[in-house]
Amino acid sequence: MNLTGGEQLIDESALEGVWADCTKQLSDELPAQQFNTWIRPLRAQLFDAYVDVDLNGAGVPQRVQLVAPNRFIEDWVQNKFLTRIEQLFVQFGAGQCTVAVVSQSEKAPVFKASAAPKGNTARPVLNSVESVAEQQSSSGFAPQETPVIQRIQAPAIITSAAEHSLKSNLNSAFTFDSFVEGKSNQLALAAAQQVAENPGGSYNPLFIYGGVGLGKTHLMHAVGNALRMRKPDAKIVYLHSERFVADMVKALQLKAIDEFKQFYRSVDALLIDDIQFFAGKERSQEEFFHTYNALLERGQQMILTCDRYPKEINGVEERLKSRFGWGLTVAVEPPELETRVAILINKAEQAGIELSRDAAFFIAQRIRSNVRELEGALKRVMAHAQFSGRVIDIDLIRESLKDLLALQDKLVTIDNIQRVVADYYKLKMSDLLSKRRSRSVARPRQIAMALAKDLTNYSLPEIGESFGGRDHTTVLHACRKVKELEATDRDVERDLKNLYRTLSN
Amino acid sequence: MNEFQQLSLAIKLDNQATFDNFYAPTGTPQHLAKMLLQDEGKQYAYVCGSSGTGLSHLMQAVCQQHSTGLNNGAAVYLPLKELCDYPAGQVLEGLESSDLVCLDDLDQVAGREEWQAPLFNFFNRCSESGTRLLITAHTLPDYLEVLLDDLLSRLKSGISLQLMDYKDADLRRLLQHRASGLGLYLSDEVARFLLHRLPRNSHLLMDALEKLDAVSLREQRRLTLPFVKTVLGI
Repeated sequence: MNLTGGEQLIDESALEGVWADCTKQLSDELPAQQFNTWIRPLRAQLFDAYVDVDLNGAGVPQRVQLVAPNRFIEDWVQNKFLTRIEQLFVQFGAGQCTVAVVSQSEKAPVFKASAAPKGNTARPVLNSVESVAEQQSSSGFAPQETPVIQRIQAPAIITSAAEHSLKSNLNSAFTFDSFVEGKSNQLALAAAQQVAENPGGSYNPLFIYGGVGLGKTHLMHAVGNALRMRKPDAKIVYLHSERFVADMVKALQLKAIDEFKQFYRSVDALLIDDIQFFAGKERSQEEFFHTYNALLERGQQMILTCDRYPKEINGVEERLKSRFGWGLTVAVEPPELETRVAILINKAEQAGIELSRDAAFFIAQRIRSNVRELEGALKRVMAHAQFSGRVIDIDLIRESLKDLLALQDKLVTIDNIQRVVADYYKLKMSDLLSKRRSRSVARPRQIAMALAKDLTNYSLPEIGESFGGRDHTTVLHACRKVKELEATDRDVERDLKNLYRTLSN
Repeated sequence: MNEFQQLSLAIKLDNQATFDNFYAPTGTPQHLAKMLLQDEGKQYAYVCGSSGTGLSHLMQAVCQQHSTGLNNGAAVYLPLKELCDYPAGQVLEGLESSDLVCLDDLDQVAGREEWQAPLFNFFNRCSESGTRLLITAHTLPDYLEVLLDDLLSRLKSGISLQLMDYKDADLRRLLQHRASGLGLYLSDEVARFLLHRLPRNSHLLMDALEKLDAVSLREQRRLTLPFVKTVLGI
């Protein structure tokens, strides 16, 4: 809307008052939910340098901007509330001014400085690359009418990488000191420490893979932090693969692909997390491929993490997969009980909370899936203790994690263990419970018995009874045998890990 | 404008949702949730509960507390129930620049393929930028049918709380508490009558209370049993 004139100008403090009155009025008129969603996030600001033209090309001074956190909210406010807001501006004495809704600048890409003023976001021309489809897809609104006011904006200025300070995105809390070592992550930790000692050496790239929440990101940051500590001016960049893709898309939109390339190829160490999310994004893979080659050629360190072994990543080009394996590939496994206990004690210490070994053991025994969830459980216990003023003991833990433990109990019944094991080995339940003693049946049966002993509180006779009326000595033998095989047979070790994971998730 | 006025009638009570008027007896999960959400130091929290447990009230209260001053502490509240059919990437784009983001009713999108990666990426961006993220749903993350393991593990990475349904005695006190906030006196007898005759869900009870409030104001009547029976037709 163009409230022509522009003679009576309002200043910042007047605007503040007017906007306060507007929001108060809108909070009375709108349901709280709508108010919180669409009006509360808006920021009002004066903006003079921004020039608009109307359809006839005549200049219109633009005075007030309502800055929305993103384009979606901007569009919504524009379509549904702007008319009313403009009425309120007049009603509350803003005089003759124009009100426009704009979206806050998107997070500046790593490769470029934020040049446009906050709240002054151009909508770049979109190219047919990843995520553009997403950006182009309809927001679900009725098609917008041609706006009366058309924006003119100076092109965003792209500065060279050297001209602005580098944002490494490193989390300083993730160091080697705060990483708890265990059998499950020993190799990955040693490799990461080696890379920190000797970046760009023979472990380049360092490829860390493993399931979710096992500490891959922690290790990656730890290397970055160690490198930075040794060489504070080193250009180290950590980012999630999504950010690489988003930056590349933005670079194409802003016609700044050369800056993008220059930036990513000029870093001393590039740390990219969760590269499995490159799957299906061909243009990003192409760009990443060239970045990868350039960095490796110059001996700059790369660290990549992924949820699986390189060869198993679907939707990623073969040439990339093979290159991922050029350096060192290490796995991070789910932590064993002792490591989980150590992690809990360590995290509690970091939070300044005393956690007894018994309490840590109780939690660690029940939360087996991964470190992130283990930490989540601990945070929950600590919050309960903090807000109830109680010390952390088994009773408090039981209370705090009641629903989680109930879920676990539901998962780890003997019946469910038998079903999961039978499914895993492609057996029938009746075979598992039968008297058959062929190895193809007896081994899974022994494993199921061992799991039942480890994961439930049933006695050995009860477990034996549930497995086709067997004696408790049979269960005892099975447990010993499985423990022995776990240490000597890689297949059994892997099967057990998979089964534990399935049963505790 | 008229449309707004009509809408406001329907949810007048929600407009006043603050921590102060949230009914949370000591020792209940509601009490814990109230303290947890008031503590702005907690970067991520997940609160779940069925309808009528006070989740929406808490979310509104968080937003209210966060944005006490003009333009202070940008808070964004997203009712996913209403936004689930919009493109996830657009809905969540750039919101990590806010101080606080509340995602209400995650169950509406948790099992939808097109929301998995955008939610996961948004979670990561919030962690990186230190944005406070509050999520509500009707159930715990494990029951949400989340398709992406990475997302599920992040949902389980923080403090999660499950709100329980209010017991009858609490519902009665809740009704009286809210009535008092509206300047009404609701006797034990009338409160018990409402609980016996209406569905024992706090939302529906509050709707009834709101209706009683409007009529009693208009007719300048107190909340007596005969008046309540007439107004509510029960």
